[in-house]
Amino acid sequence: MSQTSRTEFLVTSRGTSRELDAFVVAVRFSRDGRRAGFALGDGTVRLATVGVTSEWISAAAHDGSVLDFAADPTGDGFISAGDDGKLNRVGADGTVSNVGDFGMKWVEHVATHTLDKGKGLIAASAGKVVRLYDQAGQILKELIHPSTVTGLVFDGKGKRIGASHYNGASLWFVAAKTDTPRKLEWKGSHTGIAIHPEGEAVVTAMQENALHGWKLPNGEHMRMSGYPAKTVSLSFTRNGKWMASSGADAMVLWPFFGGGPMGKAPLELAGGDGIICNQVASNPRDEIVAGGFADGLVVVADIGSSRILPVVPPDHGPISALAWSPDGTQLAIGTETGFAAIVDFAKR
Amino acid sequence: MADINTQVPVTVLTGYLGAGKTTLLNRILTENHGRKYAVVINEFGELGVDNDLVVDSDEEVFEMNNGCICCTVRGDLIRIVGGLMKRRDKFDGIIIETTGLANPAPVAQTFFVDDTVKAKTRLDAIVTVVDAKHLPARLADSHEAADQIAFADVIVLNKTDLVTPEELDAVEATIRGINRFAIIHRTQRASLPIAQVLDRGAFDLSRILAMHPDFLEGDDDHEHNEDISSMSFEVEKPIDPEKFNAWIGVLLQDKGADLLRTKGILHYANEDRRFAFQAVHMIADGDFIGPVKEGDPKNSRLVFIGRNLNRPQLRRGFEGCAAD
Repeated sequence: MSQTSRTEFLVTSRGTSRELDAFVVAVRFSRDGRRAGFALGDGTVRLATVGVTSEWISAAAHDGSVLDFAADPTGDGFISAGDDGKLNRVGADGTVSNVGDFGMKWVEHVATHTLDKGKGLIAASAGKVVRLYDQAGQILKELIHPSTVTGLVFDGKGKRIGASHYNGASLWFVAAKTDTPRKLEWKGSHTGIAIHPEGEAVVTAMQENALHGWKLPNGEHMRMSGYPAKTVSLSFTRNGKWMASSGADAMVLWPFFGGGPMGKAPLELAGGDGIICNQVASNPRDEIVAGGFADGLVVVADIGSSRILPVVPPDHGPISALAWSPDGTQLAIGTETGFAAIVDFAKR
Repeated sequence: MADINTQVPVTVLTGYLGAGKTTLLNRILTENHGRKYAVVINEFGELGVDNDLVVDSDEEVFEMNNGCICCTVRGDLIRIVGGLMKRRDKFDGIIIETTGLANPAPVAQTFFVDDTVKAKTRLDAIVTVVDAKHLPARLADSHEAADQIAFADVIVLNKTDLVTPEELDAVEATIRGINRFAIIHRTQRASLPIAQVLDRGAFDLSRILAMHPDFLEGDDDHEHNEDISSMSFEVEKPIDPEKFNAWIGVLLQDKGADLLRTKGILHYANEDRRFAFQAVHMIADGDFIGPVKEGDPKNSRLVFIGRNLNRPQLRRGFEGCAAD
């Protein structure tokens, strides 16, 4: 990749970028895909309108750092979680309003899910507690875990919520009358979670540079190892055929078909430079996956052909955030040193 | 390799309930030093802490799945360090206060085991506050009190006004029996210049070499009531790194549960830089540090603090690592 000339990187010809001077903790697109929100380590959220080169709006969302960030499940803005103990709503115009208060505790994770008829769900965790809210910010339930929640995710239909923690993960039914979780147990520290889009498996990242999985509904164990670094980013492709992961010097994609991933070798894309992949993001429409590396390189790979498209050159700091727009035409990118970009992949 | 200049120093504050830990912490935070610290406290802390950036955390210890039974790590610290690094420019150091009954090993091991924590921070010192009056009782009724002393780089021997000079000398001798390498400060109301506590670089080990050998080689034969003791060994010839790694690897594997802390400065054959080695139980780490100053002796030294230390065996083992 080092041989690629700068002009061949898509960000040059099809990108909009800014230097934001703070760690980009997360980036998300709004539900309507019109805005990208960059959540920063200085507590602000920067809002960019897709396809418009106007000023980006800066919203002072938290007194501290944003820790996690998600699309507003019903509005056109975002929900942000901060180390000031607040769960806030950031409107498309930059107005900040409070959804929840967790006191002294860091609000480390937030996940949202859009239901029909204008309804939606917001889940946020602080320590061992996950609070589930409706779209208006009304608390629906409080779910207590055996140790601090390290990852939070809704399943594809918004029926279940999964939380990773020490010694496994818990799966809760959102609509259950009595709250007892399905406990998925495996000894050790689990540090992140993903649910297969068709609900066929739960996968967690682990402290020991490995992934653990449970097939559903039978709970059969899966172990995916061989990573030189910790996996911080997991992303299933649209139909759940593949699960992309970070933590190796390539994007590592495990096959969730034909009996996989157990006993199957993963597909490794964009490897060979010895640089660790920090972030992966599967496209919501097509079988393509974006990968961001520790040297700042961003590529997009076609899973079928293994063809690699260079997107951002390794010039702007380690990649810390990646997200596709809901229609899969825009890729938003953030780095540890505050570089932020939106690249247009729409056909012209 | 991690860059020491960008690594945030971390000070770990241990000590029994009522020893004066929070008093010392508040003293550090309120002293006018123009520096900002992120403070990690436990929600069951004794007193309020007066600081802008206080992180409230549960001490969540877990066992690593690496086949090493004594490798326990504080998962909460891994997350907190990760979170704090996103706001890096806003503070100069991290102070972690542990609960009174905490075993210091998981905190220390966290700084060896997790790559991100290792890259972004460095353990500056473990500071243990002890109560001069109540230490003998604490040592008698729990092993955590001895462990906290064994792990310490700096010991704040507090509440000296509550004991007689004779009692104070006796309590200091007891501490020395467990850990002869820590620096001891006698205080009342935890009052001491904060430079004695922060930015010690105690974990970078150079101090080990600076200590006078005679002082280090006290009377080991005199056994105290405590089963923890400390020993140091010296080799004048350059060390063969392969021999050393083979020996220390087996030693830590076999005796790791008893070896609370192992630290050393090694001079390898045909290498100008010194190698700093350290381990907590079975988990070891090492890094090259600066070269020896012109004219300084090129001896290697290794320090053990732990239970059931076998002096002749350790000496023979270390001496066997000399290059041919």
